[in-house]
Amino acid sequence: MVTEEAHDVMRGMGRIMRSGIAVGVMAAVFLTLGACATRPAPADTAAVAAFKEANDPIEPLNRYFFAINNQLLDPLIIKPLAQGYDIVLPRVVKDSIRNFLDNLDTPVILANDLLQGEWGRAGTTLTRFGINTTVGIAGLFDPAERWGYQQHSEDFGQTLAVWGSGEGPYIFLPFLGPSPPRDIAGFVVDRFFDPFTYISFDGDTAFAFARLGAGGIDRRARVLDTLDDIERTSLDYYAAVRSLYRQNRNNSIANGRFDPAALPDISDIDYDFDTDIDAPDAAPNGGAPQTTPPPESLAPAPDAQGNNTIETQPAPASGLGVGT
Amino acid sequence: MRMTANPPCTTPFFTAPFFTAPFFGRVYLRAGIVLMALSCLALATLAPSAARADESARQYVGDLGDSAIAILGDDTLTPEETETRFRALLLGALDIRRLGLFALGQYARLPTPQQREEYFELLADFIVAVYLNRLSSYSDEKFVVTDSIEKGSKGREVIVSSDIVFSDGTAPLPVQWWLIRDPDAATFKVFDVNVAGIWMAQEQRGTFASQIRNNGGQFEALLDGLRAETRLAQTGAEAG
Repeated sequence: MVTEEAHDVMRGMGRIMRSGIAVGVMAAVFLTLGACATRPAPADTAAVAAFKEANDPIEPLNRYFFAINNQLLDPLIIKPLAQGYDIVLPRVVKDSIRNFLDNLDTPVILANDLLQGEWGRAGTTLTRFGINTTVGIAGLFDPAERWGYQQHSEDFGQTLAVWGSGEGPYIFLPFLGPSPPRDIAGFVVDRFFDPFTYISFDGDTAFAFARLGAGGIDRRARVLDTLDDIERTSLDYYAAVRSLYRQNRNNSIANGRFDPAALPDISDIDYDFDTDIDAPDAAPNGGAPQTTPPPESLAPAPDAQGNNTIETQPAPASGLGVGT
Repeated sequence: MRMTANPPCTTPFFTAPFFTAPFFGRVYLRAGIVLMALSCLALATLAPSAARADESARQYVGDLGDSAIAILGDDTLTPEETETRFRALLLGALDIRRLGLFALGQYARLPTPQQREEYFELLADFIVAVYLNRLSSYSDEKFVVTDSIEKGSKGREVIVSSDIVFSDGTAPLPVQWWLIRDPDAATFKVFDVNVAGIWMAQEQRGTFASQIRNNGGQFEALLDGLRAETRLAQTGAEAG
């Protein structure tokens, strides 16, 4: 009908305008807040190395969004919903919701298992789908788990990592949380694998939002206590969340395989670098000009680039070197 | 127990007799085979020491975990006594110096020696306060060591896997222990602990570096942060 088409066009235009406004707002925020982190002076090798290890060039903007999330969106909207969900619904219902949502994710998980060459895990995914959709009544129950087929999650961000992609600079978005470029790209590609992108219920996006919303609230409810605990006990909650996100992603990417070689190599690090308390105070990283070099016998010599740092290998939690 | 393969038994010694045999005849062939057998025997007697070292690492972790759970689950102790004993256990087991310097990351050379010593003290308080808080709920559980694996090229590190088994049927919590051999005392020190996939020292490394960097590269900012956070964790423990 003509009016219906006109309605669609208006809705589409509205969406474009809104996204245009959103982009404009983001750009303004970006420019005015000085979103880019100040790079440390190149002479300060430790600070430069630490800056690179953190891999967070727009940290001020990230912290701003983190503060919005943490002090506004979460306490006002997300957390109360998650707490209500957690308290009101009995465990069976919550488990059913989670099982149902996990089952709906099967095509995406299967596609990514295959793309990563994980045939065994792909077989498990198919088996789980077969069992849970039938015996488990449309995925509400999870008999497959009891029969030995464990649930696992996959997404295209993990596939990109397995193919060798680094995480990219850390980005924190309101509502979505940590979203580095690789994981955002992965999320977008996953929408193409997801059959529900193509099945539209009369052009109504309610189902898609309901699914996204329910998944988000379920996940938030699962980590209520953990996040509270981390917030209370960490020096810098933002940095703790960043580190936890990266470690968690690395675990998911590894698909349960533990490789000790992937951990930082500490065997060559000599920590006894100044046992002589009369040695001149080296303080090479304070930014002040160094007048006396540390005694050769006590300190490891700077390497060819003149780097004076102990640590030369970043911990994998930085997201650098993942997938290599 | 995981048996390590002995590559030398399978490569050069294996091939040597067959290369030399055509030229030097049967005598050398037999000698080669005897030599190979003796080498393998020698290596076989050496290999169990690696397995024995693994075993002692697992024993160490098993004892540590059991002691921790015993302290946390002892209802006869007052909170102060629990903290004192837990602190003694933790500080005896942890390699605070290495752990602390690793957690400073690229800023390991920043502090003066006095600041560094103060940092180790504060870090010890911080660890006890935070992890006593986090672990105080794990008092009714069983601790099971599952596996161990060597790490690093110098044979100084072992990673031991274990599970905390819950009495209420929740899935076991995997905990991994990154141990460094202490050659003098013929025992181990704990360098890092991985709970449910998260390495603790690596988590703190990012946080400490961030604290220093966002406060103009001043080390004192980290010390202040540690003091404040320890106080917060301690009052949280008293209140909760």
